[in-house]
Amino acid sequence: MHVSMVELKAALRRCFEATGYFVGHYEDAAEMILWLEKHGLAGLAEFNNSLPYINQDQDKQQSTIVYEDSSAIVIDSHHRSSLNCIAAALDMAYYKSVQNGIATATIRNCHNRMFVLKALTDCGRRGVSVVAYWQNGSQVITEHTAAIKAGHRYPNYQQSVIDTDNFQEDTDQEQSLTIICSTRVDLTSSLKARTASGIKNIQKVTHISSEQIAENKMQTVEFGIEIPQPLWDSINQIGEGVLVESSEQSRKGAGA
Amino acid sequence: MILPAAISSALKGEKSLPLRPVQQVMQIERLGAMHQSRLSFMRSLVRRIMRERWQITLHKFELDNDGYGTVIYQVQTANHLYSFVLFSNYLAPEDRNDRVIASQWDLTMALVDGEVSDEYLESLRNNVPKQEAGRVDARVFVLSRANRSARNFDYMVDALARGEQPSVEKISQVGYLYRTTAVYGSGKLGMADWEKVNTHFKDFDRPFSAEMFVCLMLRNFSLLQVEHIAKHRAEFNAGEGEKSCYQPMDLAIKRFIGIGNSTGLGMAPYLINHPQLINRWVEMRELALARIRVLGEVNGAIVEQFLLLLKRAATYTEQTVTEDQQQTENNQAMREDLQKLASHYQQGFSSWQAVLEWSEQHCSLQGQEMLVSILLELYPALVEDLEDHLVVDESMDIEPLMPLAEFLKQIEKHYQWALDVDFEEPDSRAYFWYRSEEKMEPRLGKTNEEPGAERQMPLGIAFAVRQCYDLAKAHLTEHTTHSCAHFVQLNPHLRSSVRRIQNMSQCLYGEIHVNLLDKEVLPMHLLRCKLAFFGVGKFDPKSKLWVRNTMFQGAPLLEEIGQPFSDDWFMPLAPSVQAEG
Repeated sequence: MHVSMVELKAALRRCFEATGYFVGHYEDAAEMILWLEKHGLAGLAEFNNSLPYINQDQDKQQSTIVYEDSSAIVIDSHHRSSLNCIAAALDMAYYKSVQNGIATATIRNCHNRMFVLKALTDCGRRGVSVVAYWQNGSQVITEHTAAIKAGHRYPNYQQSVIDTDNFQEDTDQEQSLTIICSTRVDLTSSLKARTASGIKNIQKVTHISSEQIAENKMQTVEFGIEIPQPLWDSINQIGEGVLVESSEQSRKGAGA
Repeated sequence: MILPAAISSALKGEKSLPLRPVQQVMQIERLGAMHQSRLSFMRSLVRRIMRERWQITLHKFELDNDGYGTVIYQVQTANHLYSFVLFSNYLAPEDRNDRVIASQWDLTMALVDGEVSDEYLESLRNNVPKQEAGRVDARVFVLSRANRSARNFDYMVDALARGEQPSVEKISQVGYLYRTTAVYGSGKLGMADWEKVNTHFKDFDRPFSAEMFVCLMLRNFSLLQVEHIAKHRAEFNAGEGEKSCYQPMDLAIKRFIGIGNSTGLGMAPYLINHPQLINRWVEMRELALARIRVLGEVNGAIVEQFLLLLKRAATYTEQTVTEDQQQTENNQAMREDLQKLASHYQQGFSSWQAVLEWSEQHCSLQGQEMLVSILLELYPALVEDLEDHLVVDESMDIEPLMPLAEFLKQIEKHYQWALDVDFEEPDSRAYFWYRSEEKMEPRLGKTNEEPGAERQMPLGIAFAVRQCYDLAKAHLTEHTTHSCAHFVQLNPHLRSSVRRIQNMSQCLYGEIHVNLLDKEVLPMHLLRCKLAFFGVGKFDPKSKLWVRNTMFQGAPLLEEIGQPFSDDWFMPLAPSVQAEG
């Protein structure tokens, strides 16, 4: 099914609003999904994976600060989706990097971390270079990194698939996201470096350059977005939760 | 999107021009007293069409004798080719409904990128008449629909078919043949997003210009259709071998026919949800006024033109028909204001500053704002370049570095109007705004009487600011060094409020000074404000929640493109009156 970007954003906002996200968070969540999809990074597929758990965040504890000093912060997101917490965490990292030149943020117990790319890009646009790193999965681990230079509009993104038979997983990495921000250093990241050092357990590396991401965006602006009908229906069905039943009295409230 | 230095320095800083203060401009009653002006989107669009001599031709004309069928206009600009596609279908009178919940209309139409093939036309035919129930692709910019004004349409067909001109007096009562009931653009129903329109199509890169163009084309089609039906009816009525009585419509009368519009509550949330855009629109209008205040030379010719425009505006207001008591009183007050201004300044004056100050002391809000619109008419050179700066990048970032103490100061400086509301008083939260399950129509509900308050839209900005202020103040007493980043991390439910307050504090205007939850709230003011930016006239409120109005009355006709154009269709008068004046 064909939809426009603004339609998708509006439907996603209703969807998250109906599942109990705060106003600022449903605004961010819709933007984060749309950003990935608009830039050819499969935001809708990522969102579809999270859809079975969309209602669970409202019962979870809000993110808490576990540790903080002038240039580092550790936040526990208590297994919330990054859609529901990551923008505020990036704000903290941004704040510390502007204050100190460089800062790290570790966000633990956070799901759907791919959505951090939108917040990361916002930091780049505002003059802070950022690197993000995270891993996903247990049997087959995917390793991700994204980076943007200060003042740039689009990040680079890399993903690799790791054969766990030959790889010792660091359990602390599970559902964890590491961010480095700097106003002083232009940060880059590359998973290829590990391949070059002779590690055999990386099966496949996908690299999407900032140029490709920019090109993907132009395509989406030109032609809009294709979304699987069942997903579109699900988003709208959940979003109906914000609508109020109609009555004769309510029709008067529209000027009838 | 970024303002040139010459404009931004006129708005802020040491060399800024004397803009009216935000407390004055953003008061909702004043916004609700605004009128069309030289910067209104319709005026701007028509200037572009006339100056660039767009070629608008009938490409397909397949109407039966009763005016039903399909029409395609091709629009060739210097930059691009577009198609305006229109479907005219029979609609039973009992099915004619102007509300958004309607499902059938007399006319449905679409503005499309490029030429329309037969195959694509079929796709449009299968979707455009369904409006919200249909889907289109990113080649389409605008979808719209319109219903006939039954009174005027049948009367005009009959008159022309009899070889008579329609009565100007009758047209003055209702100055249109069709009313649009919705004009959708910017990505609705699968259409091209604004980002595409703005970046790919220079012809429509100003706010709502594609939407306004569709309304202008509808106006021109309505004139074509009414003449087409009248011509065929006259031929049918003529006896064997007799000559048809049909007469085409007089050009002056044609020009006086616009397009009707019904606007309801749906427009109100837009103004609250796009504060940066509203800020820019108001900034440009106020900057135009400030330029005139400082740079507008007052000489004999200008004074003469000023007095003529005062007279024209008074006559226009006199010709405005409304059954609404409040609007009638407002119109009456404004006519008196305009007469007072004319008498007071009959002998001339030396500065606009004095005239504006005098109006603030002696005229109603309606009169004061009409004076502003008239001033903008007098100095095209000081005004028209600002039409290129009405678009803005609407993204909002949180400023995490802002110390919380500074944030509180910002609220106290920019949101005193919100802090002044006593939210302990029940009437201050008497209403809530929500989306109905009927086509998601925005509605206003009574908090203590109707269900749904827990699902309300976040339009109560003043209340949200109050909550944010109180919590930030309490937070600061415990965490004296915290920034907004900390505050939002620990108070995630305030993220939206903090973001909005920080961003709006950087704007000159933007936030409308009103508590939209208040028992006495008049959403009509919001509708009127946006419609004035569009450029409509003849406001005729039908309740406090919706208003009828007229678009493009007095605008040049398609056949006048390429002819001399004075851009003087501000406050158009009925033809006979104009001839007398």
